[in-house]
Amino acid sequence: MAHGHSAQDLMRPAGSAQPAMSVREVSLTLGGPPGRLILDAISFDVRQGEFLSIVGPSGCGKTTLLRLMAGLMPPTSGEITFEGAPVRRPSLSRAIVFQDYTNALLPWRTVSANIALSLEARGVARAERDDRVAALLKKMGLQHAAAQFPGQLSGGMQQRVQIARCLAQQPRIMLMDEPFGALDAITRQGLQDELMALAADEKMTVAFITHDLEEAIYLGDRVFVLAANPGRVVEEIEVGLERPRHQLLTREDPRFLKHRHRLFGLLQGH
Amino acid sequence: MTALSRAARRHGPAVLFVAALLGAWQGLADLQVISPVFFPAPSRAFEELAFSASDGSLWTSAWATIKRMLGGWLLASAAGIVIGGAIGSSRTARDYLEPTLEFMRPLPASAIIPVAILFLGLSGSMALAVIAFGAIWPVLLGAAHGFATSRRGLRDVAAALEFGPVQWMWKFSLPAAMPDILSGARISLAIALILAVVTEMQASLPGLGYDIFMAQRSFRSAELYAGLIALGVIGFIVNHGLAMFERRVLSWREPQS
Repeated sequence: MAHGHSAQDLMRPAGSAQPAMSVREVSLTLGGPPGRLILDAISFDVRQGEFLSIVGPSGCGKTTLLRLMAGLMPPTSGEITFEGAPVRRPSLSRAIVFQDYTNALLPWRTVSANIALSLEARGVARAERDDRVAALLKKMGLQHAAAQFPGQLSGGMQQRVQIARCLAQQPRIMLMDEPFGALDAITRQGLQDELMALAADEKMTVAFITHDLEEAIYLGDRVFVLAANPGRVVEEIEVGLERPRHQLLTREDPRFLKHRHRLFGLLQGH
Repeated sequence: MTALSRAARRHGPAVLFVAALLGAWQGLADLQVISPVFFPAPSRAFEELAFSASDGSLWTSAWATIKRMLGGWLLASAAGIVIGGAIGSSRTARDYLEPTLEFMRPLPASAIIPVAILFLGLSGSMALAVIAFGAIWPVLLGAAHGFATSRRGLRDVAAALEFGPVQWMWKFSLPAAMPDILSGARISLAIALILAVVTEMQASLPGLGYDIFMAQRSFRSAELYAGLIALGVIGFIVNHGLAMFERRVLSWREPQS
């Protein structure tokens, strides 16, 4: 499984003794009895401040895994804890970025009002909201779209709005479900770099689901590979590539290519 | 200038058609094919309208009818949104209510009038009850459909932001159902106007409907047609007002469709 730890250990942020989230022997069976085993005894930690990529083929249950981590549904067996406490229901401290931004944004609310939704949820006073929203609009490059409705924006812009809304939660972990999966390649690369800069700025802990192997390596401190039928973790790698990363140079780095080769085989051959 | 010419191009045909219709009406009346006692010239109908406007009786009657219509419509809308919302969002509510409602819905509102009179007498509240009963269905069905549309994505968002059921209704469900509710409400408003007139005729309540009824009984045909014109204008204005309101409230939908 894992290999070559020592160098990467030094790169990890301090205070990572307790993991942010810990997934223990989590299984999920749907339907039945006997039902279909979707996830099979999955165990891993999300370390404090790390960017963890989870990659797998379609149908491997990776979205389901993220929903379990969010508390949107309970596992059949096993336990998930966040900062030591069991996850039983969703919490504002765990922000979720959904893949399908068209169904995650409120189409009747402007961009500003969509971002403000999180502030309403947190009970932030009305007077304070405008300043917070303005700051987030600026951070995500959405100032000019503030008064527009989601339906008037491109996919990339809509996903920016969703990320801004999640940031407004001031979460302690970001759970991202293939957030860039529906975007074109150029937009995706732009958002990848923005997300990495953001994660570094805010020292965010991120669990990032994707089916795109290169994206997983490019963004992640670590990459987990899930296999399908039933969903299970079959490989874990420390990426070990320096930050900030670069769309061309990083992707041409021999270590990047080595990871890519290794994981590519895993995703294809079973 | 351009705005003016655009308005002319847009509304010109409709204005021309109305003018042609009035011309034909005037022509037919002038020929006196039908006795003027039954079929007055439009000029006489408009004279009568101007007269009743100047002595104030038109405004009193029109206002009485408008109040009745709006009152019944608001009642129908409020009840329709609540009941339709319940049916749309709760399986239990649907199981309990739907069969009864399906039985009541085909009942003609005018058939309810005798029952309403027994309970409430020949009163304004009887009229409100009848109007509300007849006008509730389009809003109710619109609300039921709007609330029932599954929005799993938004449910997840509401859960992730720890919103409770009340906030789910208020911040997510109701605005999402708004387009369906409003399109139902527009049909309800038209029904409310019809029933306002019918109840006035049946129960001798003051308003344009009563005026028209009395004019017909005493063969004052010009007055009768004046009343019809006034009703048409009210229906036209109210429907346009609601359409404008709808466009404002639902402006977020325009870019998509």
